Amino acid sequence: MDVGSVLSGFAVVFEPQNLLYCVIGVTLGMLVGVLPGLGPAATIAILLPITYNIEPTPAVIMLAGIFYGAQYGGTITSVLLRLPGEASTVVTALDGYQMARQGKAGSALGIAAIGSFIGGTASIILLTLIAPLVADAALEFGPAEYTVLALIGILLVATLGNGALIKSVTAAGVGLLLATVGLDPLMGSPRFTFGSDQLADGIDFVIVAMGLFGVGEILYNLEHRLRPQPAVLSFGRAIPRRMEWLASRMAILRGSVIGFVLGVLPGGGATMSSLVAYAVEKRAAKDSSRFGKGAIEGVAGPESANNAAATSSFIPLLTLGIPANATMAVLFGALLLQGIPPGPQLIVDHPDVFWGVVNSMYLGNLILLLLSIPLIGVFVRLLRVRAGILAPLTVLVTMIGVYSIRNNAFDMFLVIALGILGYGMKKLGFEPGPFVLAFVLGKLLESSFRRSMRLFDGDVLGFFRRPVSAVLVAVLLITIVVVPVLRMVRSRQAARIAREPSQV
Amino acid sequence: MTVDQSAPAEVSEQPDEDGPLRGGPVLGAVAGAIPVALGLATLWYARGLGFGRLGDPGPGLWPSIVAVLLVFAGAVIAARARVARDTEAFTRGTAAVVIGAASLAVYTYLFELVGFEIPTVLLLALWLRFLGGESWRVTAVISVLATAGAYALFIIGLGVPLPHLIGG
Amino acid sequence: MSESFARRRVLAVLAAAAVLPVAACGGVKGGSDDAGSDYPTRAVNFTVPFAAGGSGDLISRAVAKAAEKPLGQSIVIANKPGANGAVGGKEVLASTPDGYNIALAVKSLFAITPLVVNDPTAIQPDKMEIVATLVQEDYVLVVNAASPYKTLEELVKAPSVKYATAGVGTGGQLSQALLFKGAGTTATDVPFDGGAPAVTALLGRQVDAMSGSLAETMEHIKAGKLRPLAIFSTERSEFLPDVPTAKEKGYDVVVDQRRFIIAPAGLPEAVSTKLEQSFAEARKDPAYETFLKDNYMERWEVSDEEARQHLKDSATEFATLTQRFGLTFKS
Repeated sequence: MDVGSVLSGFAVVFEPQNLLYCVIGVTLGMLVGVLPGLGPAATIAILLPITYNIEPTPAVIMLAGIFYGAQYGGTITSVLLRLPGEASTVVTALDGYQMARQGKAGSALGIAAIGSFIGGTASIILLTLIAPLVADAALEFGPAEYTVLALIGILLVATLGNGALIKSVTAAGVGLLLATVGLDPLMGSPRFTFGSDQLADGIDFVIVAMGLFGVGEILYNLEHRLRPQPAVLSFGRAIPRRMEWLASRMAILRGSVIGFVLGVLPGGGATMSSLVAYAVEKRAAKDSSRFGKGAIEGVAGPESANNAAATSSFIPLLTLGIPANATMAVLFGALLLQGIPPGPQLIVDHPDVFWGVVNSMYLGNLILLLLSIPLIGVFVRLLRVRAGILAPLTVLVTMIGVYSIRNNAFDMFLVIALGILGYGMKKLGFEPGPFVLAFVLGKLLESSFRRSMRLFDGDVLGFFRRPVSAVLVAVLLITIVVVPVLRMVRSRQAARIAREPSQV
Repeated sequence: MTVDQSAPAEVSEQPDEDGPLRGGPVLGAVAGAIPVALGLATLWYARGLGFGRLGDPGPGLWPSIVAVLLVFAGAVIAARARVARDTEAFTRGTAAVVIGAASLAVYTYLFELVGFEIPTVLLLALWLRFLGGESWRVTAVISVLATAGAYALFIIGLGVPLPHLIGG
Repeated sequence: MSESFARRRVLAVLAAAAVLPVAACGGVKGGSDDAGSDYPTRAVNFTVPFAAGGSGDLISRAVAKAAEKPLGQSIVIANKPGANGAVGGKEVLASTPDGYNIALAVKSLFAITPLVVNDPTAIQPDKMEIVATLVQEDYVLVVNAASPYKTLEELVKAPSVKYATAGVGTGGQLSQALLFKGAGTTATDVPFDGGAPAVTALLGRQVDAMSGSLAETMEHIKAGKLRPLAIFSTERSEFLPDVPTAKEKGYDVVVDQRRFIIAPAGLPEAVSTKLEQSFAEARKDPAYETFLKDNYMERWEVSDEEARQHLKDSATEFATLTQRFGLTFKS
């Protein structure tokens, strides 16, 4: 790392033009983050033509700002309306929405914003220090590692629910099944597409999340429209109380590290990180039964993690020229249009762009934090809007948002169908969370497993021969075999000890 | 094993006094029957896809594994239908859900046909007045304003190519 | 009950009242204008049937921007991805042939996709008019710079090769399958979910080789991380003059991607001429020229008939080759 170029990167950031574009980018990002469906990838694509006429550095600063700004905005709808616009905010909706129902929406969003700020900033510091190192490590992740990682993720998913485990497992199973719709990833044969090429590429995650959470919830509430919802009278404060801060500071710290590490992995890193952060918090908590019922750590951990992951997902793009997710792919295109091909040479050939963009993220995160706190106060008032008015507006924005993903009305029909499914699941006691997350991880698991098998020439033992995957397999075995066995032994002992005095 | 783990959580769950009506054992059985049916249908469908070998799994293998999981899980759910208390009965209010979902489908159909403005006003009016029980005045004001707002935001502001009537 | 009936009737009347006059005058934007002599009188919708940010999206935006001036109207781009361009393409071809709906199309949809998927509703070339041909993109076979294989000969003699592709039915898959089959190499294809993950896998040495477009691989070649062994074009590429063609090495495998703009068949003469001229003018734009250079795309500028012939020939050739080598992509 060249200290001189890092510092000159700060000089780049504080040029008035760059400052301005940074502010525009993060504000815009936050706003589109609030709109369900219309994600940062689409927004950046829409803005591409405008960036033709801007210098490369401010253009990329602005577009990057849209990306991480959207992470802040997405939390707002997840918490207030239970509308997660990205896979990485699904787990936030679990406890965040419950907190909102309990009149603590402000606290949930406040801690999310602070967690996001800390996660994001920590991630930038790590990025500055060890980006090239981490990037090389990410390349060690091949299909075998992704297989084990996805398997761990899916097992974590099954434990997310509050109700009966068997129902979480079933919901996750249906999610896995839905993920197989589309052309087979290795053979190209159509599966469950029923001859329609609208389904050939599978179903977009946002449609699944919007359908099961958003439309499903709204339909469910229609049934009970005659019985008024308990009015939410208080919102909590955006600036957390001492107690809330104490409860979540470790979660934020852990989430930041988890997010940074997993975010570097192309494909599903951010989602995995939020999921792992949630699971870690649930394990670390003294009373894990609070989770799913409004535990503040359940918001703080995953939110810190997904923002840290959003930041570290820039590493593969900027150091290797590999886009880690859909938004990074569009940013890749934006850089190309600017005549700055993203790749290993970027930091050498265009240090001003590299460090300008990286350092602009410090500022962008700070702006977002300052922007969030007062805006939270405005957004939580949404909860005071009567359900009779809020529901149609939400449904409208959802429908248009879904259309905008592929500019395709077929997807609107899909979201309605999934909404009906979500409603039915709720009536029958299934939760949408495991379904939606299993949907995301199922694609990763199946295709990675099949790729691994081809690479190993069909030898399952191949998973144990690669160092990273062997370690992951060990982690997996410890979680699903050793820990439950130990717990069982311990509870037997405890039972025996409890019995003995009575025998005496 | 899965059953054992989940049992305590369920017992500790207290029914809401004011909450929705609990479903009976029939609904509980339905909750198990659907995954079973889905699993069986998938198995039937996946049979034609080819299972491949473990060394090179075919397109049908993974859906079949998931389908078997669903059949077993569904069977367990159905078996516990008598004791499970996590379903909700369908009520007269269900009609509103049907109307709501149908209106969205009609909306989508009209939206492509005649552009988004008129169907949007109609959809909002239906939901506000009939499903939401708002007054006619509120309905009129909000449905028109929200449509205009959506137009300004999505079409003018964000350049989403929604089919529309007004403007270029 | 009666209330809901009344409600339904009110709705039906409202809907009918709203829909009828509108439908009668065809007022929905994107609908039809009858004439053609004063074309264009409003913005032209350009459907890009690929996701934003990819090569197909970028070239469309570049050429559309340059074509707006000669056309005299703005060109509005809408991404409508799905099924290698079939979703957006079919929709545009089903619209009124009035010149207000055009789309980008790719050669692989006509030459490779039919080898992979049975689609009875696939786009028939006689349903479309090729308004402009744009570019040709070559596929290059690359290995990791640390790979023991320095030349194509060494690679095909390897005891076993695992090669990455950007997915089923891509030019990268076809070119490698034909090459390794022709050379008698024991090779396994490992399809990834797009070009970037395939490049990532090669950079991490998860696979031995991959074939990708120049846009996907060139930066890594320049940085010395990947080594090009052969290019699947008829002649050497201007961007990689030192890299031999597969043909030179004795493997007659020519696979490339070509991009062009289509409109529904039956455009009025004046409209078709105006579109053709506008895009011909756009291709001369200096910004477009820079774009092509930056993205390693070569010009492919031929007439409608020649383009059609090329698509037809390639489809036949690929079908024959795969048959001769006993390759099946369909299951």
